[in-house]
Amino acid sequence: MDKPLAEFIEMLRYADIPVSIGESLDAAETVQLIGYDDRGLLKAALSQVMAKTVEEHDSFNRCFDEFFSYNIELDFKERNDETDEGADSIEDQSAPPEPANENEDGSSSENENGAGDGLESVEPSGDPTAPLLEMLEQNDRTALALAMTQAAGDVNLGGIVLMTQRGLFTRRIMEQMGLDQVNQEIAAREEQGDDDGAVDLAGRLETLFDAVRDMVERQLALTSSGKGKQFRQDVLKKVRLSNIEHRDFKHMREIVRRMAKRLTDMNSRIRKVKNRGHLDIRKTMRRNIAYDGIMFETHWKQKHKDRPKVLAVCDVSGSVASVARFLLLFLYSLNEVLPKVRSFAFSGTLGEVTDLFDRLGAEEAVPLAIDQFGGRSTDYGRAMEDFKDLIFDEIDNRTTVIFLGDGRSNGADPRVDILKEIKSRAKRVIWLNPERKSIWGSGDSEMLRIAPYCTTAETCNSLNKLELIIRDLLKSN
Amino acid sequence: MSIIDKDPAEAIDLIKAGFETAGYICDRHIATSIYLSQKLDKPILVEGPPGVGKTELAKAASELLGAPMIRLQCYEGLDESKALYEWKYGKQLLYTQILKEKLGDLLEDAVGLDQSMDKLHQFGDSFYSEKFLEARPLLQALKSDVKTVLLIDEIDKSDHEFEAYLLEILSDYQISVPEIGTIKAKTKPLVFLTSNNTREMSDALKRRCLHLYIPFPDAELERRIIKTRVPELDENLRNQIVSFVQQLRTQDLKKLPAVSETIDWARTLLLLHAEKLDADMVRNTLNMLLKFEEDIENTNSDVPKLVAIAHKETR
Repeated sequence: MDKPLAEFIEMLRYADIPVSIGESLDAAETVQLIGYDDRGLLKAALSQVMAKTVEEHDSFNRCFDEFFSYNIELDFKERNDETDEGADSIEDQSAPPEPANENEDGSSSENENGAGDGLESVEPSGDPTAPLLEMLEQNDRTALALAMTQAAGDVNLGGIVLMTQRGLFTRRIMEQMGLDQVNQEIAAREEQGDDDGAVDLAGRLETLFDAVRDMVERQLALTSSGKGKQFRQDVLKKVRLSNIEHRDFKHMREIVRRMAKRLTDMNSRIRKVKNRGHLDIRKTMRRNIAYDGIMFETHWKQKHKDRPKVLAVCDVSGSVASVARFLLLFLYSLNEVLPKVRSFAFSGTLGEVTDLFDRLGAEEAVPLAIDQFGGRSTDYGRAMEDFKDLIFDEIDNRTTVIFLGDGRSNGADPRVDILKEIKSRAKRVIWLNPERKSIWGSGDSEMLRIAPYCTTAETCNSLNKLELIIRDLLKSN
Repeated sequence: MSIIDKDPAEAIDLIKAGFETAGYICDRHIATSIYLSQKLDKPILVEGPPGVGKTELAKAASELLGAPMIRLQCYEGLDESKALYEWKYGKQLLYTQILKEKLGDLLEDAVGLDQSMDKLHQFGDSFYSEKFLEARPLLQALKSDVKTVLLIDEIDKSDHEFEAYLLEILSDYQISVPEIGTIKAKTKPLVFLTSNNTREMSDALKRRCLHLYIPFPDAELERRIIKTRVPELDENLRNQIVSFVQQLRTQDLKKLPAVSETIDWARTLLLLHAEKLDADMVRNTLNMLLKFEEDIENTNSDVPKLVAIAHKETR
């Protein structure tokens, strides 16, 4: 596989597109088939080989544009106008994609002829200056671009992570390409009184500097944004929900959504157990009457595992304000991936938000739900009553009821009798409390009274914890 | 496969042109994926909103390649006996009956049980052999002598287990029947899988496929599709229809109208001898485009405005 493609694949991986080895082999084959010439075609083809969801297609397109624009930055256009290569530059301006191809061709597939000279001339690192000087003098863009890529590889530009490393890497690449001796040449020309020549060369060098800086900048954007994102996501999973800032909401949503989806996928996979367990004699006999009673077709007693029916109630009052957003967000995601979730929110009175969630995106639905039901002081008793009125009949032995709340009822009776009734009807009742267990029961917290009437009552203050609990919930059937 | 052996860009243009003569208008993206799937021997997983022509693509490909299409409609509960193969129980039963009658003749000169068993073992075990194998769509596609187009429709409706059965076929074009062994494809079929994304496919499946996403077409493409599908329609009206539908897609609706709905609507208007869009007619036929009462109600009041814009745009 050629190097640009390998780099591109690495970039895709950073951009959350999990390209497998098999897929990269396919990609290599695709590149071989199609080549780098027709950029549009290559993009269409590679995207189908490597991006496997709609979101991945989006990031792929972004990455592709970024990546394949980066090799063509080196542009001596201004000077080309003055030199005899003017024709070339007119073509540049009139048909932007064309020169891109021409240049790309040389710099990407390293076995191209034109590029080959450039490569060789840089390679003997004993005296790299003359070639660089030559390249600059001759406006050999293809060779220069190639030398840049080469030098970048030599100084391991891919390892750049921090903003502060930019200057360092730019310098290193330039030195690798033979900066010193070009500088000497400029100095020499000045000494000899060839001012025009010196200025001209210095100008060219400056252009090259810009191009290299650009390349470094891009590489930084490519790798560090990917790494940074991964890092941030890892942190977000562990941090306390109440400490997460508003600006991370979007990332959070993505994590939560993925988590919820994984959970449902896992769950639906074990939903049906077929051709296992006990032989159903009655059905087998009936089926085989046609065959003279000889049992060709067997019929097994099947267990149909139902999709979990979930009723989720979320406290959005002031005391849990800092985490309510994320609890609701989780509810929202659960709504997206599980078919039978009904969600409720309350602080004083309780109301259903399922419809709201169905209609709107998370960014709108969550604040709206807080707006509609939040802000008042918590009254668990009232909420329990409302919940009973609203939905009690629908609770059956397959229903899981999840409460998300801190159990602080402002002194009002939390009506654990209703909770008890719910528990006796439902399959299980789960209480997730963002507070840690040691302060349950302190102040107006009713958790100690509530907990006995729940199948499980757990502290849940980070996403990782949330995932663990929900996973247990889905598994323990 | 002469088309495929040409230079990529040329081959893709040829595929596109071929589709057009088959009545399937597509962009280069789709043609590219057909080309790639032929070259890389990979199935294509086609995703997109309902009604953008995912199934049509398979049909068109079958026509283009002159390969018969074998279709497998997925549903919840679909299992290997319906998709892969099944034993012909009735025939097996007859076989035992025949065997019973012939047994006496066969074992005539055998003395004692041991000898009889030995003799019996000399006969081939044909009870579980290909003779008694009932080929279901997937096996049919593998056993076919000519190249086929295998369409596995709405794979997202099937169960996870079924996806796992598919993996072997998708990567190696073979299936393993425990009683017989591995059956390899005589000619590799061109496989299409379509999905409406009601659930996410497993990574294993996605990795084995090319992924093609077909979005709603842009106005230009949609006009050409309507032109091919409803050629009798007046050009002016066609443009208005497309413009109207394109606007409708920007609205906040439960289900956006797809190409198939546009085609139906165009046909309806043709039947009604419409010459241009007018608000009343649109209102009366809106149920061709929108499939939810709620959507229709919400849109009703906007119809005059949308029609006006459609008129303006096409002038």
